[in-house]
Amino acid sequence: MSEASPSDPADRVSRSIVAGRGGYQPRYLKDLAAKLVVLVGGIGVIVALLLIFVYLVSEVAPLFQGAHFKARQSFAVPGDDSATLFVAAEEQGEVGLRVAASGELSFFDLFNGQLRDTQRLPIGERQVGEVIEIAPEKGTLAAGLSDGSVLMFQPEYKVSYPGDKRLITPGMTYPKGEAPIAFMDRAPMHLAVRESDDAMMMAGSDPEGGVSIKSFEVTTSIMGDASVTESPLQTFKPPLKPDILLLDPGMHWLYAIDKASGKVAFYRVNGDKPAELVEVVDSKGAVVGAHYLAGGISIVLAHTDGRISQWFPARHVDGEARGKTYLAHVRDFALKGGAKATSIGAEPRRRGFAVGDDQGRVSLFYATSGRLIHQQKMLDSAVRALAFNPRAQLLMALGDNGKIVAYDVDNEHPEVSVSALWSKVWYESYDEPLWLWQSSSASADFEPKFSMAPLALGTLKGAFYAMIFAVPLAILGAIFTANFMSPELRQVVKPSVEVLAALPSVILGFLAGLWLAPFVEDNLPGMFLALLLLPTSIPIFGYLWLRMPRALRLRVPQGWEAALLIPVILLVVWLCFVLAKPVEALVFGGNMQAFLDHTLGIGYDQRNALVVGIAMGVAVVPVIFSIAEDAIFSVPKHLSLGSLALGATPWQTLVGVVLPTASPGIFSAVMIGLGRAVGETMIVLMATGNTAVTNFSLFSGMRTLAANVAVEMPESEVGSTHFRLLFLSGLTLFVFTFLFNTVAELVRSRLRRKYSSL
Amino acid sequence: MTGVQDKTRLNHGIDLTSLDRVQAANRIENEQIALEVENLDLYYGAKHALHGVNMKIARNKVTAFIGPSGCGKSTLLRCFNRMNDLVDGCRVEGQLKLDGKNIYDRDVDIAMLRRRVGMVFQKPNPFPKSIYENVAYGLRLAGINKKRVIDETVEWALKGAALWDEVKDRLDDSALGLSGGQQQRLVIARAIAIHPDVILLDEPCSALDPISTLKVEELINELKHKYTIVIVTHNMQQAARVSDYTAFMYVGDLIEFGNTDQLFTKPSKKQTEDYITGRYG
Repeated sequence: MSEASPSDPADRVSRSIVAGRGGYQPRYLKDLAAKLVVLVGGIGVIVALLLIFVYLVSEVAPLFQGAHFKARQSFAVPGDDSATLFVAAEEQGEVGLRVAASGELSFFDLFNGQLRDTQRLPIGERQVGEVIEIAPEKGTLAAGLSDGSVLMFQPEYKVSYPGDKRLITPGMTYPKGEAPIAFMDRAPMHLAVRESDDAMMMAGSDPEGGVSIKSFEVTTSIMGDASVTESPLQTFKPPLKPDILLLDPGMHWLYAIDKASGKVAFYRVNGDKPAELVEVVDSKGAVVGAHYLAGGISIVLAHTDGRISQWFPARHVDGEARGKTYLAHVRDFALKGGAKATSIGAEPRRRGFAVGDDQGRVSLFYATSGRLIHQQKMLDSAVRALAFNPRAQLLMALGDNGKIVAYDVDNEHPEVSVSALWSKVWYESYDEPLWLWQSSSASADFEPKFSMAPLALGTLKGAFYAMIFAVPLAILGAIFTANFMSPELRQVVKPSVEVLAALPSVILGFLAGLWLAPFVEDNLPGMFLALLLLPTSIPIFGYLWLRMPRALRLRVPQGWEAALLIPVILLVVWLCFVLAKPVEALVFGGNMQAFLDHTLGIGYDQRNALVVGIAMGVAVVPVIFSIAEDAIFSVPKHLSLGSLALGATPWQTLVGVVLPTASPGIFSAVMIGLGRAVGETMIVLMATGNTAVTNFSLFSGMRTLAANVAVEMPESEVGSTHFRLLFLSGLTLFVFTFLFNTVAELVRSRLRRKYSSL
Repeated sequence: MTGVQDKTRLNHGIDLTSLDRVQAANRIENEQIALEVENLDLYYGAKHALHGVNMKIARNKVTAFIGPSGCGKSTLLRCFNRMNDLVDGCRVEGQLKLDGKNIYDRDVDIAMLRRRVGMVFQKPNPFPKSIYENVAYGLRLAGINKKRVIDETVEWALKGAALWDEVKDRLDDSALGLSGGQQQRLVIARAIAIHPDVILLDEPCSALDPISTLKVEELINELKHKYTIVIVTHNMQQAARVSDYTAFMYVGDLIEFGNTDQLFTKPSKKQTEDYITGRYG
C-alpha cells in the first residue's frame, strides 16, 4: 500500500470519515437536492389534489347555504285611506306599487316609502272590488269593478341613466285599452283572468255561489286588423262556496276553492264549451289563501293550521282510472311552530313562495325541493299580503297594522336539497315522483329537474357493463399471456394490447357511436350469438385440439397454441352473423328489436349500454390487462415450481399459488380499470345517447356524470344553480374515484400483507 | 459374486473401467435400487448438457451430487421428477427408471410422478399461506379433503421435519414469518406430507446459516430411513457428512460415482482428486 505511486487512484479517495471533508460536498449537495425535488414534487401533488377538492367544494357549498334576509326601512302604506287591494314590486326592487280600492295607484320608493308618483285608474265613479295578477312575469293586473266590468292594466317602468345614475320612472299602460271590458252584470266577488296572444278568459263568482265564465277570441285578419269574438256568459253553480277562483294560463283548468271547508272544485274549461267538473277534492283544512306558482301548473293552498299544500293536475298511473286526470296532492309544507297562515305570495319566475302568519313572520318555501328555506320575523302584526319582485330578490310584506316592510332576499339556490338531488321528486306535469335530470328547456318558466340519481346511476351502469366486458377478457388474457404463452409471442402480444390504451377515447367513442351502434342495431341477434358462441367455441376447440393426432399437435410450438384461435374466432364470428337471420326468424319472429319491445316490453335504443359496454370495455381492457399481467408474471418462479414439484398440474398451480399471490395486483388492476370506466367521458358522450334514464337495461342509453359536465358546462350560466350542480357532479365523481381507490388500497394492502412476496 | 457377473451388471450400470470403481460398485451392488439412470442425454436446445449418464441410486440411502458450478448436477437432479420439462427447448434421451418404470415413457402422469419424487429447492419457497396450509397443499392436490386426515398428516409431517415443536402454536400464521431454516424444514415437511418415495434436495442449505444447516443435515440423516434422498451440494464437507454415495460430475459428464468414504479418501480419478482437494471448482 505504502508503495503506491502518487497517481494511484486509491490515494485520491479521502480517508476522512468526518462528514463534509475531503472535497465531497457536491455529493451531499446532490443527495440533498434530489431529496428536496422529490419532497417538493410529492407534496405538490398532494397540495394540487387538495386544491382541486377545495375549489370544487367552494363552488358547490353555496348550493346548501340557506337564504339571507336583509331588512329595509319599514313605513306606513302610502296613498289614500281606502283599502289596499294589491301591492307589487318592480324588477330592480326599487319601486313599489299599491292599488287602492278607490282606484288610486301609488308608486313608492321601496327603501323609504316616499311617494314617487300617484295615478288613478280610468274607472270614473266605479269602485275596484278585487285586483288580481294575470301574468306575474309581465306584471299585468286585472281589476274587477263594481259594475261587473274588468279593467286590465300593467305598470311600466322606464329606466334611464341621467348623470350615470339609474332612474326608474313608473308609468301605467292599459294593454286592452282604457275602457273596462264588460263581463258580469254586477261586481264579481272573486275574479280570475288569463290571456294569451289570441284568447282571453275571465271567471268570476257572484254572491249566490255561482261562477260565470266568459271567453274572448282574438282573430287577426291578413290586413292586421284584430277582431274580438266574445262567447256568451256561461254561469254554473259549483257544489261549494267559490271563495277563491284560480284559472291556469292555458285556460284549461279552473279551481273554485271554498275557504271554510277547504274543498276544491276542479273544472275543465274550454273556450265557450260548458265547464266540466272533474272532481271535488277535500284539501283537509280551512284555506286562507291560494296562489299559482310560476309556470301556472301548481297551485299552493295555505291552510289556517299552518300547513301549505301543493296541487296540480296529473293522470292516474294505474288502477281502473288509469290515464284519467285528477287533482294530485303533491306535497305538504308546514309553518314552524304551528303558526296560523294568513297570506301567501309566489315568486314570479321560480317555484318559490312565501307564507305570512299571524305573528308577522314570513316563511320562504321552495316547491320542487320541498324545503323551508328561511323564516323571518318581518312585521309586528299579522301579514296581510306578500309580494316578490320578478327577480325574487325583494320580498315585500303588508301588515294588518298598515305597515309595509321590504327585505332584500339573497336566495340563489332554493331548488337544491339533498332529498331533491337524490330521491324521487314529483315534478310538475308528471304523473308520479321520478328521478329526472333536465336542466334547461325552451320555456323560461319551466321547472328545472336536478336529480343526480340518474347521472350517478348512469355512471355506474356504463362502468358496470364495461367491466362485465373487460374484466374477464383482460384477466383471462393476462393469465394466459403471463403463464402459458411462449416468451416470443408474449413479447408481441403484450405491447400490442398496451398500445390499444394509447388510442384516444374520442376515436373509440366516434367508432362506437357512428359505426358500432348502427352495426349492433342491424345485427343484434348476430351480436348475441357471438357473445354466446365465442366463449363456448374456444374451450370446445381446445378440447378438439387435444384429441388431434400428436404429430399434428407437435407442429405447433409450445406457447403458440393461442395463434391457432385466430382463424377459429374469425370463423365463429362469421358463422354467427350468417346464422343470425335464420335464428332471428326462428326465435324472435323475424325482428329481435320488435320482439324485445312487444313481447318483453324492453325498449331498444340505438345508442345503448351494450354499445358502451363494448366500446368502453375496449378502452379499459388494456389498462386491466397490462397491470394484471405484470402482477401474474412477477409471481416468483420458485413458488410455481414448488407447487409443480408437489404434483400439482399447471392449472392447480395457477389457482392454488399463482393467482392468490398475484391477487393484490389483479385487484388493483380491476380497480384502476373501474376508475377509468367511471371517469371516462368521450366514449359515453358519443355512444350513449346521453339520455338520463334510471334503469339498468342493456338496451337503453344513459347519461354519466362526466358526460353531463361535458355536455352542459358550455351552456350553463356561471354561478347559477345549474353551474354549481355541474361542479357537484364533478365532486361526486371525485368522491366516487376517491372511494373506489381507498377501498382498493385498503383491500390491496390487506391482500399484500397476506401474500407479501418472497 | 464373480468378476464376470460384475462386468455384465456394470455394463448397464455405471461406466466403470478401473478396479477401484469395481470396489465402489460392489457396495452399490448390495443395495436395493430406487432409481436407475441409463444413457441419459439432455439437450437445452442445441446445447448438450448431460452426456450419456449412467447411475444407480440406492433406496433409503443419501446420494450426493457434487461438482463445480454448471456441471449439470442440478440438471440431472431435475430429470428425476421431470422438472426439466418446464424449461423451453429441453430434450431428454435415454432412460430413467423409477422402480423399473421409465419415467420418460409417454404414459407417465407427470403429476403422479412428482408426488412420488418430491423436491426441495435451494431457496426456501413456502407458499404465501399459513404454515398449516403449506403442508396441507400437497394433500389437497392429491384429493384428500378430510379435515381429520389432513390435521394428522400435517402434524406427522411437521414432526418428521423436526419443526412441530417450533410451530405447533402458530399453525395458522403465515409461513413467511418463519426463519430461513424453519422455512426450509417446512418445505421438507410439505414434501414428505404426500409420502414420496424419493426426495430430491437441490442445494437445500446454501441459503441457510450454519445452525439451520446443521438442523437440516440432522433431518436428512433422520429421513433417509424412510426415503431415498438425492442431494445436490456445493459443500463437500456436507456431502461427506450426510451422504452414503457421492457422484462427481464435471461439464455434463459423470466422472466418478461411488461410496462416499472411498470417493473422498481415495478418489480413482485425477479430476475428482483435483476437485475435492480444492484445485478448481
